[in-house]
Formats: sequence, structure tokens, C-alpha cells
Amino acid sequence: MSENPTTLPTRLGGDEDLAALVNVEDGLISRRIFTDPAIFELEKERIFGRAWFFVGHETEIPEPGDLVARPVGMDPGILVRDDEGEIRVLLNSCRHRGMRVCRTDRENARFLRCPYHGWVYKTSGELVSAAAESHYGPDELRKTEFGLIQAAHVDRIQGLIFATWDPEAPSLQEYLGDMAYYLDLVFGRTDGGLEVVGTPQVWEVDTAWKFGTDNYTDNYHVFSTHHSLVDLGMLPNDPDFASHGHMIDAGNGHVLHFVQGPPDDEEFKAFGLPAELREQMRRNLSPDKLRIAEPAGISVGTVWPTFHYMHLQSSDVIDGKQEPFMNLRMEEPLSPTRTRMWAWFMVDRSASPEFKRRSQECYVRTFGPAGLFDQDDMENWEDCTRANLGPAARRYTLHHRMGVDREPISDWPGPGTVWADSYGEMTQRAWYGQWLRQMQGE
Amino acid sequence: MDQGIDAGTRVKPGSDLYAEVADLLLCEADALDNYRYDEWLGMLTEDMTYVMPVRTSQFLTDGKGFHGDANFFSDDRESLTTRVRRLETEFAWAETPPSRTRHFISNVLVREREDGELGVRSSFMLTRTRQDHGYQMFTGERQDRLRRGEDGELRFAGRVVLPDQTVITATNLSVIF
Repeated sequence: MSENPTTLPTRLGGDEDLAALVNVEDGLISRRIFTDPAIFELEKERIFGRAWFFVGHETEIPEPGDLVARPVGMDPGILVRDDEGEIRVLLNSCRHRGMRVCRTDRENARFLRCPYHGWVYKTSGELVSAAAESHYGPDELRKTEFGLIQAAHVDRIQGLIFATWDPEAPSLQEYLGDMAYYLDLVFGRTDGGLEVVGTPQVWEVDTAWKFGTDNYTDNYHVFSTHHSLVDLGMLPNDPDFASHGHMIDAGNGHVLHFVQGPPDDEEFKAFGLPAELREQMRRNLSPDKLRIAEPAGISVGTVWPTFHYMHLQSSDVIDGKQEPFMNLRMEEPLSPTRTRMWAWFMVDRSASPEFKRRSQECYVRTFGPAGLFDQDDMENWEDCTRANLGPAARRYTLHHRMGVDREPISDWPGPGTVWADSYGEMTQRAWYGQWLRQMQGE
Repeated sequence: MDQGIDAGTRVKPGSDLYAEVADLLLCEADALDNYRYDEWLGMLTEDMTYVMPVRTSQFLTDGKGFHGDANFFSDDRESLTTRVRRLETEFAWAETPPSRTRHFISNVLVREREDGELGVRSSFMLTRTRQDHGYQMFTGERQDRLRRGEDGELRFAGRVVLPDQTVITATNLSVIF
């Protein structure tokens, strides 16, 4: 039952061939889709050339000329607020020889100057001059045609900036579909929304990028992977503890969950926010959104394919007090088996300085590469990647069957397909379903 | 983040005080590389702080890339103790089975400050291998504040770890710098 085609067809990409590797209905996913170089090449074109990607938050570039260097999918990008205050996403590559024109991680710039031959661009991407320009004939340089390449579309939701290289891509609103409702709920709850603090943590892991995406909405792993914290009394000693919540398939591969805490733990509710922020939340959210947010302790969501938010709560020391924190994550695939991980800390703009400080401290101690939790996640992804590389292992499937027979509920206040159990691989199956549709060129 | 590490009077190599500091750094490295974490905790003051800021690549005119607004570590004695207790469980998978580390400490500059503490800058190279994996390597600068306790022993009161890398090329940071 669990055998896969042992060789991929020479013309990879036929609907039937890919469909044989990803059986969403039965929850059987081929191991080879994670590490096969031929599949990775196809992903570059069909996923990383086409999807919408998170590039940053508007609070990272508040002033004209502010820019940060960021991947846009798998291409090097520049997220910049230009002289007119417009947010742009540019390919970080001179039109002459392709040299990187922005060579820092962040700066405030009036112009982007290519070191190679001295071509100079405005922060809007417009080519303004080249060195020794008089050696070009009147129709040779063609400045108006050779500005920096712009992302095909750039748009924002709740200050989160997304971009795509595909001119044919649907609008961000259409792409997000029902996920927009939940991003509005999570990021738009307090006055002024959330802001990024500092600069992202970036590190490289020897993992196939999809082991990262697979993990984020997975609550089932918490009790086992993070068992050291159960041992220390920082997580409940109950294998079911993270199962009291809802999983949501918001369509187009976007997925999320809301997990509730113990019924009598008032502090864990409303994302564990302090009283003044809860008050704002009650003012800012519509009654249906509030019905979802009030009982929720934590929420994790994925905007297909590589953007994740993790709104979590944890104590950061033995016998400590739980604090909530918001963490954004993104995978930047470098090769079939190596991925650059990006992680941002965010906090409500209108929160007290003390809450902001403690929330960030708690985040850094528990998540990110040194986090008490996160350290062990990366261990899993690396060993999964290595063990799934072999020619024998690749013949077999992985097991994503939890909840394949479970029926969704109909009395949820928000959109999407919703299940009343936060253990189950419904979200992963929805993600792989979208992967298959995109890889088939839909 | 600025510990004022370059304030004070230089303590020259060859002096008894310099030798005492150097010996402490070596004993610390030996404790960490041999999994004697409780011994290491004993080398820290009660108000120890332990921070590793995130570094960005920037023009020199904009500084060395540290802004103090994002960290890889932001610990105190209590959270460091939690890290150590975690390593002692059977389930800290990132270190179970444990990494093999080697702390190489060099370029030690010591200053005696007006407040009685010692300011110590050193370079580190930390190598790590796990299971059958290849090497992961970390280099950078440590800025330590040392204070003498009532028992006469020098202890670490503050450490800032300045990584050379902007992108950490390692699975995770489950080791102590």
C-alpha cells in the first residue's frame, strides 16, 4: 500500500506522475518530494516563480530611503520605501551584469550604486546614470527600459508586505481568500496593530524546506519533541494538552489553528494578552472574530507556501510566568537539503514598554535558534532530511493520516473548513494539496 | 549592551591578576567542554547577564552591525540555570546525544575598572560536532565583566557574545558560548 513509483518519469510534471507522489485523501506523502533535485528544480519554477512571498513588515522601513535586503521566494530582493514613500520590492541585481546593487542587510539610501561599472539607480528602481556615460551612443544605454526589475505585484495586509514575481498572479486579496479574515483577526486586534522589533534572526539548517512548513501548524509533536520542558514542569504532563482547539483549512493551501488552554486558566485566554490590550481587542474585533479570539491561547498559521506566524505563550524559566509573544517565520530554500530560516519578533504597538521587553525576552529564550523549544525542532528536520534521502527510503511514503476520517464542524464563527480538534494532520494535507495543484501548473 | 568594556586600566600579561583571569577563562572552557555545567553555574554571579545580539551587515559608518534590539540569547542566571537543567533531562534532543565542543579562547585583554570589576575582551572559536555530522564552527568576541566575590573568587557578572556571522550557519544554538 505504501509503495511509490521508484523512478520519476523523464518528463516530470505530468499530472498523474505528481499525483502518485502526493495522496492527500489517504494522507500518504512520498518521501522523495522533500529531497529530489528534479522536484526541487520544478518547485523553483512553479512555486518560487509564482507564489506570493512575505518580504517584511512596513514598520521595518518607516522612512523614505529605508531598505532591507530580503529574499523574495528564492531570489534576492530589496524591500525599500522610495523617495515618494512608496513601498517597492526590487530584484537585487544590476541590469548590466547582474551584480548585487544592495550589499548590506539594511541601510538608508538615496541611490543604489552598482560597484561593478557604476550604474546608479534611484530607490524607485529607475536607472539614473552610468559611469563614463558619454561612451554609450544615443540609443545604446536605454535607461528607461533598464531600471531594476520590480516584483510583479506588491501588496500589504495588516502591514505585512507580500510580493510575487508572477505578472499573472491573482491579487493578494484573492490569493489569501479566507486567510485574510484570520490575519485581520490576529494582527489587527489592538490599536495600531503589531510592529517588528529589531532585525530578524537568520540561520541555516540542513533541512529540506518542506519539513519546516510541515511543522508549524503541527501541535501533535509538542509533547514528544519538547518533552524536556514537560520534564521541567514548563509544559503540562498530559499528551493531549495541545489538542483542545480547532484546525482550519482556509483554502489555497493557507492553514492555521487556534488552541485553547485549560478551561479555568483565564490568563491563557485572549492570547494571554495583558488587560489593557484585551480591552482594545474587544473594541477592535467584530463579534464573530471575538468569539474565536477570546478563548484562544495560541494560534499558528501559514500563508502558502513559506510564511508562518506563531502566536505562542510560554514561560521561559522553571516555575516562571507564561508570557505571550508573536514570531514570524519564513523558509528560504538554498538547495534540496539546505534552508535559510528567517525569524522576526513582533509585539503590539500600543503595549507597555515592560510588556514589550518581557514578551521579547520570553521569545528569545524559548524560540529562534537558541530557544528552549526551537532547538529541538531543527534537530528533527535535519534528521528527517537525511533519513529520507536514500534510494530505499524514497520508495516509501510518510504518514499524514491523523484525522483523514474526521468530519469538519459547521458552527464555527469564521470562514474555512474547520475541525474541532487541534491534533490532526488536516492542515498539512491541505498544504500538500496546494503543493500538488501548483506543481501540476494549475 | 555596551558594557564599557574598554574603560579602565590595562592589566598586563605576566601579572598575577592577568594570570588569574586567564586561568578562569581556561577553567570555564574546560568545564563547558566536559559537560560540568553545575561547576560552570558556580562561576557566575547571582546577577549574571548573558546576551548574544543579532548582527547585520552594514557600512562601517553605520557601526559594527549590532543594534541591541534583537538577540539570539537574552539570559540571566535563572534562565541559564533552566538551560542547564534542560540539558540534564533525557529529552533535550538537540543535545541528546550531546555535541562535542571545544572552546578556544585567545586575544585576552584585561582592564581594571573604577567600579572594581574587571573588563575582559577575548576572541573565541567554538567548534561543535554531533553524531556523525561535520563541524559547525562559531567565532567572535566575548566581552566579560568579572567581579570578586566575598569568598575572594573571581566570577562572571556579565557576558556579551558578539558573533562574527550575520547568518548563523548552524542547526541551532544549543551550546554555551
